[in-house]
Amino acid sequence: MKFVWPVVVLGLSTACPSFAAESYPKEGLDWLKKMASATNQLNYSGTFVYQQRGNSETSSIAHYVNAAGGVFAKLETLDGPAREVVRSNDQVTCYLPNTKTVLIEQRNSRYFPPAVLPERLDSIMDNYTVRIGENDRVAGYECQVIELVPKDNLRYGRRFCAEKDSGLPLAVRTFDERDEPVEAFAYTQLSIGGSFSREKVRSKYAEKSRSQKWRIDRSALSINDRPFETGWMVDNQPAGFKKLMEVQRSIGGRPGHVAQIVFSDGLAAVSVFVEPIPRERPAQALSHRGAVNIYTREVADHMITVLGEAPAATVMQIGDSLKRKTDAAIR
Amino acid sequence: MEKLSALMDSELDDHEARSELARLNERPETRRLWATYHVIGDAMRGEHLLSGRFNERLAHRLAQEPTVLAPQRRPAKKLITYALSAAASLSAVAMVAWVALSTGSVTTAPQARVAEAPALTQAKPARPQVVSLPSDGRLNEYILAHQGFSPSTAIQGVTPYIRSVAAQRPAKTR
Repeated sequence: MKFVWPVVVLGLSTACPSFAAESYPKEGLDWLKKMASATNQLNYSGTFVYQQRGNSETSSIAHYVNAAGGVFAKLETLDGPAREVVRSNDQVTCYLPNTKTVLIEQRNSRYFPPAVLPERLDSIMDNYTVRIGENDRVAGYECQVIELVPKDNLRYGRRFCAEKDSGLPLAVRTFDERDEPVEAFAYTQLSIGGSFSREKVRSKYAEKSRSQKWRIDRSALSINDRPFETGWMVDNQPAGFKKLMEVQRSIGGRPGHVAQIVFSDGLAAVSVFVEPIPRERPAQALSHRGAVNIYTREVADHMITVLGEAPAATVMQIGDSLKRKTDAAIR
Repeated sequence: MEKLSALMDSELDDHEARSELARLNERPETRRLWATYHVIGDAMRGEHLLSGRFNERLAHRLAQEPTVLAPQRRPAKKLITYALSAAASLSAVAMVAWVALSTGSVTTAPQARVAEAPALTQAKPARPQVVSLPSDGRLNEYILAHQGFSPSTAIQGVTPYIRSVAAQRPAKTR
């Protein structure tokens, strides 16, 4: 798999500048909407490769919508240690057989609908230039290239290739400030269509994890399950990022309340988690998983974990400007 | 001078070598002599000569190397990496990182180093020069908790969830 996009864009801009300079915001945004609805409403199954900074792993995917509109999906890694992710409506469950662990993330879409795109299209336009690229071919399907080029270096660029008819994104690549690829998803085999059956989206570890009593780390939004005032604020958020929501929740099966505040520029999101300092004090650290940068630090006897699919500097700026509202008021 | 050439030939015992190295460290003229001896030795053996002012340039490059801020496994008192970012001011921003050797409750004087301090640039937040290491899977539950709130997940669907099942293995094996 090659990352040819920067070359293509450069080539175009030198060859015929008038054409390349033109962006197609309306058409581009229509494609984004089309991709979001295809990805969540279609039935499909196949194999995709996930590449991040020199590593790549292959997984199988099955995604089905039942007659009642319920959404079910299953991911299964095909290389390395076996792992599965199963989604059924609002619940995402990760099975990690080698550590006999189950991670469950539960939320209530009545109060927190999936971050729907059309509502945030204005923010996308403010922060990215939307371009329609060339045609390409992925997993045997003709697809349309749609590029989101960031207007500054506070966010990553994206290059989607959406299946011509359905709009299903067949390849998604993320580029950093220097136009280097940081992450890529691409189908290598795909069939669109097929009908729902529970078997296709059930984890093969579902029974085993129960009978062998695997450890279950359950994370959920708090019982009140609605927007919440956590008492924390970010007073220097990166340009273009707005607060999307603020909730109180549990995480990783640990007791105690954790505040989560989510910021978004319309496409990327950065979450801030605030919780009491654990017994083992965290070191200030920066790490990454693909396009997701993760920054950990301490503020006022709390552990702060900031992460999102944005450049490290953006994630750190949010983490470094987190304050208690009371402290901010005194100043 | 005799001792210097003996040091080059590894003919000094530990104690002598240490005191000779200390002298070398204190006296620039002895250091230059040391360098000259090596150049002569290299030339006689027909080895490639380093370009002029190599030492200075190497030292300069080393000072410019980014600071590694990595998650630490900390079974006991170990080297802890701390970083402090003072990214508040709009006009001048400095990123200072230091490594502190922690020995119980006593912390030795930190060795401070300015990684980046752009002067008088306006409006743009500075890019801290920090190196990030691959996640070893200990923060998977946070990635999982974040994923569902991101608009990019709405476009890409369930595939990005593969990030939240990173294998639980230390970064160095990757």
